[in-house]
Amino acid sequence: MLIWVAALHCEAKPVIDYYRLRKLHGQAFDVYRGDGMALVVSGIGKLASATACAWIAALHQDRAALAWLNLGIAGAAGHGIGDAFLLNQVIDDDSGERYYPVPVSRAHFPGSACRTLGRPGYEYRGDCLFDMEASGFMHSALCFSSAELVQSIKLVSDNRHRQDRPSRQRVSDLLHERIDDIVRQGEALAELARGQADLEPSAESWQRLLSLAHFSQTQQSRLRVLWRYLHNRDIETEPLFQTLKSAADAAAIIETLEEIGHRDSEAL
Amino acid sequence: MASCIYIESAVRDHPRARQLLARHRQLPVVEIERYGEVFNRRAQSFRLQKRNPALIIAHKTGHRVLAAPEGYGLGGEHNYYFSHMLNCIYDCRYCFLQGMYQSAHQVVFVNYEDFGDEIARIATAHGDQPVWFYSGYDCDSLASEPLTRFTEHFVPLIENLDNAWLELRTKSTQVRALLKRPPLERVVTAFSFSDATSHRRLEHGVPPIARRIDAMRRLLEAGWPVGLRFDPVVYHRDYRAAFVELLEQVFAQIDAARLHSVSLGSFRLTRDHFRNTARLYPDEPLFAQPLVLDKGIVGYAPEREREMIEFCETELLRHIPAASYHPCEWHG
Repeated sequence: MLIWVAALHCEAKPVIDYYRLRKLHGQAFDVYRGDGMALVVSGIGKLASATACAWIAALHQDRAALAWLNLGIAGAAGHGIGDAFLLNQVIDDDSGERYYPVPVSRAHFPGSACRTLGRPGYEYRGDCLFDMEASGFMHSALCFSSAELVQSIKLVSDNRHRQDRPSRQRVSDLLHERIDDIVRQGEALAELARGQADLEPSAESWQRLLSLAHFSQTQQSRLRVLWRYLHNRDIETEPLFQTLKSAADAAAIIETLEEIGHRDSEAL
Repeated sequence: MASCIYIESAVRDHPRARQLLARHRQLPVVEIERYGEVFNRRAQSFRLQKRNPALIIAHKTGHRVLAAPEGYGLGGEHNYYFSHMLNCIYDCRYCFLQGMYQSAHQVVFVNYEDFGDEIARIATAHGDQPVWFYSGYDCDSLASEPLTRFTEHFVPLIENLDNAWLELRTKSTQVRALLKRPPLERVVTAFSFSDATSHRRLEHGVPPIARRIDAMRRLLEAGWPVGLRFDPVVYHRDYRAAFVELLEQVFAQIDAARLHSVSLGSFRLTRDHFRNTARLYPDEPLFAQPLVLDKGIVGYAPEREREMIEFCETELLRHIPAASYHPCEWHG
């Protein structure tokens, strides 16, 4: 599952429009849902971004793998308005903490470092970007997913020559101009997460397995390893459940699954 | 091709770092303080990163040359290992590296001279007793040779230390740099092989067996000492026939009498490495085999291991003189 995180509604709008996401009402944050994805509007600042990430992760705790894409605007000294970047280094300006989003799938944008500020600033330094959310987003999303599934795209909205912040409509327009690349980056990330999620058996089949006998914690650990393996080996579950029903107890179920696994592994 | 380059600020102007950067002009470069802040970070997936790892250019601090673990080596009394790289360009499912490191990025330490000083100091400390240095522990010694020019620095170093021996352990065919030099008796290139089934199923990205045999033959013909490592031998339904076939393939090209050493060992991983790796690859048949934990090592049950090793030893000794055979002993 892919989770988009944007600070402002105007940053989220191009994605909402592209996927025709539906708003969920009565939530702590503005949340939009679509097929295999969700979008949360966090509000401005790293704390807001981190909080929104934690909140939406809790909503999706049953998902086997979450991919995260932060989309927003940033300032830059020399880059042109509308230039977009995939962040390869995020530095929290207050704490000095650094994050390195891992580039696994093909990047549709050039890479850049970004410094996350605690308050708005117009001091354009070096060739990195400046934003107010990326470090909070990274810090929080990395609690729930591995670094390869957490990325951030920033689009330059202001620079040394043009320091006035653009209108909301202008922000949406700028992001809309790059929506095809943004969507491609998001889909590559979602594909990675799907690959990870496919390794996990469904929650229903796991619960059904657990209902067959009383398993101790140790037995559950062993059972999970065996069940994950057999799930990935395309072994038909229905006949397997029929066989397991006749097993006397938890130990017998584990023994049966081990034997099946051993036989299956003999050919490598 | 790496996905990007991370480089420690301190080595940005190091000649080897510059060479590496020049070879990857098209890649984004991210400057870092210490390689550990990228490489050792938690919340990374070795499996996902292996699809497209980055290159990290770094300076190795602290102990660079370490005493080899018990049972490692070819029976010599003084055994050490060192790693100018961490991780490997290949993706072998039985490899302990995927269970040891958080990251699949490849680290290259560019301060070869510091490694060299430590090797020289250790060799000198042992007087005139032979000292073995193993370079293929945390990486493949030769696979990245065009990039790292490892042998260009370390072979002359060993040449100048009369009691130092170097083993280059590899699954690659990168022998061109060695072939350009006159052979050196104390530098042994050891080629690892698994049978064709294990190669096809478990050794992702590793050159075909035939090409590696050819690389080995060329080194032998040029007068370089060459070793053979059948390690790990992996159990599968047809391992006997496959192992016999592998031996026939190897010894059709290689003169067994000219081999420096041959070793053999069955699949095993430390408990932690096994646990981490099996968690990464829940779909891997290798980890679903009947394995047991013995003295902190996960491997085949004693009966199966004995049967496999006895069979492979018997077949191997039909081809090689017993004097060149060194079994891998890890049971203590």
